[in-house]
Amino acid sequence: MYNEVYKNSKVRKFYNQIYDWAKSLPENVIVKKKNEAENLFKKIGITFSVYNNFDSTERLIPFDMFPRIISSTEWKKIKRGVTQRALAVNAFLNDIYNSGEIVKAKLIPENLIYKNPAYEIKMIGFKVPKRIYSPIIGSDIVRINEKIFKVLEDNCRTPSGVSYMIENREIMMRMFPELFEKLKIETVENYPNYLLDTLKSLAPKKCNKEPKVVILTPGSLNSAYYEHSFLADLMGVELVQGNDLFVDESITYMKTTRGPEKVDIIYRRIDDKFIDPITFDSSSLIGIPGLFDSYKSGNVNICSAPGSGIADDKAIYSYIPEIIKFYLGEEPILENVKTWRCCEEDAKKYVLNNLNKLVVKEVHGSGGYGLLIGSKSSKKEIEIFRKKILSNPSNYIAQPILELSSVPIFDKKKLSPRHVDLRPFCLVGANKTKLVDGGLTRVALNQGSLVVNSSQGGGVKDTWILNE
Amino acid sequence: MLSRTAENLFWSARYIERADSLARLLEVGYRISLIPNTERGYTNEWESILETSGIKNEYLKKYKTISKEKIIFFILFDPENSSSVKNCIKTARENIRMVRTAVTLEVWNAVNSSYHELDKNLKDTKNILKEMPEIIEWIKKQVNLIRGTILNTQLINDGYDFLILGTYFERADFTARIINVKYFILLPSINYVGGDIDNFQWSLMLRSISSFRAFKWAYGGQEITYTKIIDFLILNMTCPRSLIFSIEKINHHLGRLSKFYKQTSTSNKKMALMYKKIKNLNANKITEIGLHEFLKSFIEEINFVYKKFEQKYFFGSET
Repeated sequence: MYNEVYKNSKVRKFYNQIYDWAKSLPENVIVKKKNEAENLFKKIGITFSVYNNFDSTERLIPFDMFPRIISSTEWKKIKRGVTQRALAVNAFLNDIYNSGEIVKAKLIPENLIYKNPAYEIKMIGFKVPKRIYSPIIGSDIVRINEKIFKVLEDNCRTPSGVSYMIENREIMMRMFPELFEKLKIETVENYPNYLLDTLKSLAPKKCNKEPKVVILTPGSLNSAYYEHSFLADLMGVELVQGNDLFVDESITYMKTTRGPEKVDIIYRRIDDKFIDPITFDSSSLIGIPGLFDSYKSGNVNICSAPGSGIADDKAIYSYIPEIIKFYLGEEPILENVKTWRCCEEDAKKYVLNNLNKLVVKEVHGSGGYGLLIGSKSSKKEIEIFRKKILSNPSNYIAQPILELSSVPIFDKKKLSPRHVDLRPFCLVGANKTKLVDGGLTRVALNQGSLVVNSSQGGGVKDTWILNE
Repeated sequence: MLSRTAENLFWSARYIERADSLARLLEVGYRISLIPNTERGYTNEWESILETSGIKNEYLKKYKTISKEKIIFFILFDPENSSSVKNCIKTARENIRMVRTAVTLEVWNAVNSSYHELDKNLKDTKNILKEMPEIIEWIKKQVNLIRGTILNTQLINDGYDFLILGTYFERADFTARIINVKYFILLPSINYVGGDIDNFQWSLMLRSISSFRAFKWAYGGQEITYTKIIDFLILNMTCPRSLIFSIEKINHHLGRLSKFYKQTSTSNKKMALMYKKIKNLNANKITEIGLHEFLKSFIEEINFVYKKFEQKYFFGSET
């Protein structure tokens, strides 16, 4: 396991100052600051909802004050790697919904794409504005050792967590201003401006004035609602729900106190199937009847485009290196994690024989649900998964159990290492890509745990890109 | 502004006003329970508190008998009572949370921390009867804090108008209901001898809208008479809880919206008429019409204005 702070028993160069600072904090100050941070989160209302057990109460996301540091050299590589993937993913989506060159070239099996439940038949042949399907991509990155960062997945639908990236920084700056005077920490506060620019660059065909952007949320009970309102606020755009919008003669409007107002770009934070009850799931109460028609007639843009989800299918993920080479003619800058696709006979055999050493994931699963960590599971749990894989092999992939790198947290006044990952957010506009220098570090708060999802006991840390 | 944003702002302010009114109403109940020899009257009083707040049926469904502890709990905290103070503040917060971007951070903080602290109060409460005065003081303080923050930090734009309209639609309705529940004590009955009972009842009514001292100031410490009370509660522009005061505010802010959006609506015209009418009234005329009849048609008219206002700004469907 790679410890990001210690090298042998010495503290690494980038962590020197912060480590001394953390060590110098008296116990009572740590406790006090922890409370202060919690109160700030509560006061600002940075909460997320958890829906299981019928109890949709709001919870605070656990925040740890020990920052995670990435040197600017390391960051440059991550940045280039993430950007490369974001461009490749968009080229891939554009291809598979149009001529399908990658299938013709036999680089990816036809079935994996055209029979994939995430492949949206209604999008075939449609020219998406500026050819950008997925303008916001959050790639989950893990650190393996001194040199190697690997990408675990690329979230291309509606990745969340960016509000924590910004708020974690706000709170650190409020609590420990002295650190920010001393160290050269890259700022993340431009993200909302970049996001707005990116969205505005994706105006639909029939928009001939300054485009009107809105964020579409499922509502205040959604787990990421805080983020939706946070982004709307910082971009200065309306946060709308389905019933705030309506479509008349293929034009999308929002209901305002002045009367109907035309909408041009919808940054939607609801799933494909809920977008429009006429075209997709007819039971959707949060969708807008006629929206898809308005979209296809070039009156409104929906970001990300319906059907983008196929690119974060975990089986497709395993082809990302090929996808990068095929569309960009480049070698991948960031590595993938070795992945066995259970739809392939040999791979399936290997997986079934090594279940105790692997992580098995559903191809469409997310949020840390529907997965098996072989080394941490009982025989019974392993057998359940064995049956699942046998009955529907193409629904599963397997990966080696990764030793995520670790960074300390303040655990009851003391420092104690915990596993972390990193999610930077890459923005893809009509003519340029943007990344703020930072990302969201998620941390598994339980000792030894590798699951960093907030729905399963994960917390967050401020992430610093330090200038050398 | 989004129609839903306007609606959320309106209702959050309305629920905050309601929490405030309920707290003040309970204060009266508390006062009565401190006065000896009003055993029978006291049961009636608690009953009429339930009636005034429009929750008597729900209460009786759950508890069957009138008991002050239960009523206090029901009005302050009961999660099953959709208009308990706790639920009012919770709903107000929900509404604000849905439109976080339309209020300042300070307004949000005031509402959000009220909600969290009330929850804590509830958990810490052991003897509800003993601790009630403190809780009520706290509620009034929070409401004043929220309202002060709105006044001091919000932009005075259309959103502000919707907030203020929520407050005064609720207040007009609540005051009208208080008078209506108690209208019989304001009737010049043949048995009327200006006795202590009447004085006591009237003073309670004034207290329930926090206007007991204000009344004394407004009428120079003269004897309380029913015409003066009618004048004060309905027609006195200096009394912030009088009907005319709320009507003037609603009229003013509807007018501002109309100017702001350069659009007029039925609610505007109807409200202007109502205001004009009430300005030309006096206590004797109201007695002539009949207080109960007057209040009935007042409540109907204001509901009509609200319906039109809602159609215009919240549903975008005024024809």
